[in-house]
Formats: sequence, structure tokens, C-alpha cells
Amino acid sequence: MRYLVFALLFCSLSAAALAAVPPPEEKDRCAVCGMFVAPFPQWTAALELKDGRRFYFDGPKDLFIGLFDLPTYFPGVSAEQVTGVYVTEYYGASLKPAAEVIFVTGSDVLGPMGQELVPVIGREPAETFRRDHAGKALMRFDGRQLIEIKEQP
Amino acid sequence: MRHVKILEYALASLLRRPGKTAAILVVYTLMIAVLATVLLLTHALKTEAVNLLADGPELVVQRTMAGRHELVPVEAARTVAAIPGVGSVTPRVWGYYYDSLTEANYTLQGVDAADSSLELLDGRLPQADGECAIGAGVAAVRRVGLNDDLILIDANNIGAIFTITGVFRAESRLLTEDLLVMPTESLRRFFGMPAYLATDLAVSVRNPNEINTVANKVKRLLPDSRPISRKELLRTYHAVFDWRGGMLLALFASALLAFCIMAWDKATGLSAGERREIGILKAVGWDTADVLLLKAWEGLAVSLLAFLLGFALAFGLVFWWGAPLLGGVLRGWSVLFPELRPTPYIDLYQIATLAFLTIVPYVASTVIPAWRAAVTDPDEVMRQ
Repeated sequence: MRYLVFALLFCSLSAAALAAVPPPEEKDRCAVCGMFVAPFPQWTAALELKDGRRFYFDGPKDLFIGLFDLPTYFPGVSAEQVTGVYVTEYYGASLKPAAEVIFVTGSDVLGPMGQELVPVIGREPAETFRRDHAGKALMRFDGRQLIEIKEQP
Repeated sequence: MRHVKILEYALASLLRRPGKTAAILVVYTLMIAVLATVLLLTHALKTEAVNLLADGPELVVQRTMAGRHELVPVEAARTVAAIPGVGSVTPRVWGYYYDSLTEANYTLQGVDAADSSLELLDGRLPQADGECAIGAGVAAVRRVGLNDDLILIDANNIGAIFTITGVFRAESRLLTEDLLVMPTESLRRFFGMPAYLATDLAVSVRNPNEINTVANKVKRLLPDSRPISRKELLRTYHAVFDWRGGMLLALFASALLAFCIMAWDKATGLSAGERREIGILKAVGWDTADVLLLKAWEGLAVSLLAFLLGFALAFGLVFWWGAPLLGGVLRGWSVLFPELRPTPYIDLYQIATLAFLTIVPYVASTVIPAWRAAVTDPDEVMRQ
């Protein structure tokens, strides 16, 4: 129940903040690998904190590396302070809350940092993407971790 | 300090033979100007093409039948739009019109009022039937302007009257020079094109990584279609301009060769006077190295001056006067030549290539014979 409330809160928060994510500036670097973010607009991911700070990443992979290891990459930031997690949806090439998309792993579409978790919105497009680009598993993000979506019988 | 003194002497000795120096300078300058014009113009045209296509659709879907371009059913737009990753699909109506009055080909394009990509306009876009907007080139050859009437012969061989509501003033006139736009429905009537057909489909793909996949799917879903991506179009433009530039350069290769022969002739046949001069210089205590330095400075002075003048001339020709001589050959439009005003730029790589191809052989061909004269005994040289 607590998780459900958390997830609901998370969704509403991210929906409210959706319009407010500006594209990265030229000098912004990936908070995990240090690469410039602006040259890869179709891969940009972003993390928003309660105090208004915003971090960019050059792909969902680096976003999750940072998010799952907050003490290393963002010392002093706790999971509760994260108010928004955004990834760039593959087909639409626009930023979407990470909880709304399905991540496809192991595909032949490579991001700036190689193999990527490719965010696709909707189950059917995700399956299409997996078929088109030799993807392996589908995953979703529940606000804390990535969970594999089991094949429906 | 030694270099400055030798340079001073070199310049003085060039000025002592003004006729010869001027002759070489003129030929040298002209050759550099011609070569640089071709290089600059080819590059400028390629850049223009890139700028032009930057606003175009990521993918154009044509239909082919028996290997030739055919009209595409508007229905196909729905099939393409259903492919994931496709942003919007717009059936386009456009074609060519030969105007026998001016013996020029116009490009006729249908626009909808919502179309915003053509906004550099004096006046407004046509909205109603019987209205059109024209490019500056069409306006010039037909001698018409805003609010004038334009009569064209339609598919039924009947004259159609259009009121000109706007004249394009695009920054890059390559695009709109021979253009004539009118509402899509009017154009359909004008061409006699049925409502269920269009010339091609403009497809926007939001994620550049997905363009090839979308193109493959289009090909699979519509087997008689030919998807052309923006990248392929660009590659074709590059190839065409490179080819034309290469042809021109091949033609001017003979000029380059003639210049080399001249330089070689001038340089190898050191005149008796020059040989004596070298002999005297050696007799009064100059080293062989000093004589070589002198000749190198002479060659460099002539080369650099000619290079600067020639490149400046080419730069002016291409970027200010719109390349009046060679532009037509490189662009290859039929009658309505767009006036070319490319954005000036300087490419160090090009300059270096040109400099290496001209300055180095020239300097070498002046220094080597001087070296041969300089290593012989001064007494013997002066006696000759």
C-alpha cells in the first residue's frame, strides 16, 4: 500500500513537472560519465531534485547507474529527494517520465555509451521495437527499480 | 636579421625586373583565381544544399512503376503514418511547368495555408483559388510583381489566370527562384491530377536513429514505393556537385600544366644576367646557402602575393558577384538561374591544399636551378 501511494505521488509529481524540463544546455555534462549531453538529443535523460537542481545524462543507462547509486554520484542526495526521472522516448524523441515507458534491453540500437535501455511508450510499440531491433527483455521502472515484464501467456 | 636583409635584397631584385615579375604575377594570379573559384563554389553549393535540405522532410516516399516515378495514392499516407516513429505524413502535390513564353521551366508546388516552412515572403501565401505566390526569378522573367496577374496554360490547354499574392524573398534563392506555389486543390485542377493521387509523401521521422528502419518498413508495406531519406538526397547532391567541380578542375588541369611549364621554363633557363649576378654575389662573399635563401625568398614573395591576390579575386567573384562565369556550369539549372549569394566562409584545409599545389612547385622550380648555378665556381659563372 505504501508503495502504491508512493508510486501515485510520484506519477502526479512527474506529470506536474513534465512541461518544466528544459533541454540541456551546450555545456551540460552527463552526471555519471561526464560526456556532453547536448549532441545526443534523442538520448537525453534527466533527474530532478526537490530543491530544484536538475541533472542530465546521455542515456537511460547512465541515468539508472546514477539513480541506483546515489551516494557515489550524488553525495548527500537521498531517494526521497528525487522528484522527477525523465528519459527520451525512442519513437517520439521527447522527454517522458521514466515510469510511463517500457525499457527494451539488448537491442541493436546503440546510444552514446553503447548498449542502452531503449525507452518506448506503450506495450505494442515496445514489442515492435524488440522485433525490429533484436531486443531481449522488456522492463519497467516502478520509481525505485527496474522490473522485468514477464511474457504474457 | 639576416633573413630580413636577404628578403630586402630579393624584393629589390624583383623590382629591378618589373616586366618579367609582372608577367609571372598576372599569370600566376589568374590561375590561382580560377582554381580557387572552382573549389570555393563547389563547397558553397554543397553547403547551400545542406542548408536547404535541413528543413526538408526526413523521408520522401515516391511510387515507382516500370522503373519510373508514378503518382502515389493518398491512401498510402495512412499506411505510412501507422509505422511507429513516424511523426506526420503529408501528401505533396508538385510538378514542373514549361513556360513557352519565357522558355523556362517553373516548379509548381501546392501549399496548404498551414504550411509554415515557406515564410520568407513579400506579401502572403495564396489562400483561395486563382491565387499564387512566385519566386523572384519567375517575377523577373515574366516582369510581374505583387497583385499582378499571371496567365499559365493548364492541362486542358486553357489559360488560367492567377493573382500574385506574394513574391518569395528566400535567403537561399536556390530553393525558390523558379518556384510557383498555389493552394493544393488549385494545383490539382491545374495539372488535372485526381484527388486520390499525390506526387509523393513527405514523412517526418522524429528519431534520426529510426529513419532507416522506417524506410525499410515502408518498402515492405508498399512494395512499389521508393523511400528516399534526406541523407541519401544530400549524398546525391554532393556527388553531383563534386562531379561537376571535378570536370571543371580536369579542364583547368591543362591550365595548371601550362603554368607549370611556364614556371619551369622561366626558372630553369636562368638568364645569363641572373647567372652573372649569382656569380658576383658569390664572389663578394655570399654563401651558397645565402643564394638559395635569396631565390627562395624571391619565389615565396611572388607566390604569396599571387596567391593572396588570386584567392581574394576568387573570394570576391564567388561571394560578392555570385560567380558570373563558372556558376552556371556548376549549378546546372536550365534557364532560370538562381542568383547565388552563398555565405562567405574560409576553409583552411582548402587554402592549404591550393597553396601546396601551387606555391611549393613554384618555389622549388626557382630554387633548384639557382642552386645549380650557385655551386659552380663564381669565376667560371662570370666568364660565361
